[in-house]
Amino acid sequence: MPGPTAILFVLLGTTTILLVVMLTRASLTATPAGKILAFLAFCVLPILCGFWGLSEHLERSKQTAFCLSCHIMQPYGQSLYASDPAYIPAAHFQNHRIPADEACYTCHTDYAMYGTIRVKLHGLRHIYVQYFGTPMNPIHLYDLYNNRECLHCHAGARSFENDTHTALLDQIKTNQLSCISSGCHDTIHNAASIDKVKMWRPQE
Amino acid sequence: MTTTNHKFPMSFRLSAVLLIVGLCVEAISLHWIHPIAFLAFFVIGGTFLGAGVLLFLYSIVFQHAPSGSDDSRSS
Repeated sequence: MPGPTAILFVLLGTTTILLVVMLTRASLTATPAGKILAFLAFCVLPILCGFWGLSEHLERSKQTAFCLSCHIMQPYGQSLYASDPAYIPAAHFQNHRIPADEACYTCHTDYAMYGTIRVKLHGLRHIYVQYFGTPMNPIHLYDLYNNRECLHCHAGARSFENDTHTALLDQIKTNQLSCISSGCHDTIHNAASIDKVKMWRPQE
Repeated sequence: MTTTNHKFPMSFRLSAVLLIVGLCVEAISLHWIHPIAFLAFFVIGGTFLGAGVLLFLYSIVFQHAPSGSDDSRSS
């Protein structure tokens, strides 16, 4: 079965052909059926194509390839291949604890109501800064990393149920103690020194 | 022999051209996974599509129907 992108391309082509037909055969609009067809071609289908395209682009913006298409993000992408289990993003990416093709989005989205919209607006801010401003050097998150994003998957998991986590659960849930604070899971991307780390090469 | 002389008013034709350009921009942007593709779709494609649809709606509300659509025929 063709995917949604293929169907969208068919719809784009059909709408374009209909518009060209309408342009060249205006006599079609002489009948009520022709008027309905013209309304479809000039109004309904283009709006449908526009919103479907927007949805498709939003889905694509979740892809790891999308995030790493900016030069500034490449060391962070490289860190996903660090051959060191202490690297939290690498351990998640390499062991498929997160979807490999949506690695950045899965950990950096906002698992709250309207969180997707909020992170997409942040994404627009990234684009603005990248092309019209001066990116931070080194780049960093706008806000402190919220433990909620970790707990979204880990809370309730058997591997999470140990004495340390249980004792600190209230502090973790209220963000008084960050999961990535020093002494816990504090080896994150380390983009500045990623060139010195041995890399994992996935087998084909 | 009866012939018809149907022709869209300029605003309808302009609307169609704007829509076709918008749809082409959308199709091209969907071939590329990059923030610029999203921007091109949203800013350029969205503007053309929006302008095309609005011009069409404006035309059917405030302007005459395509000439010839009132069954006028010339022989």
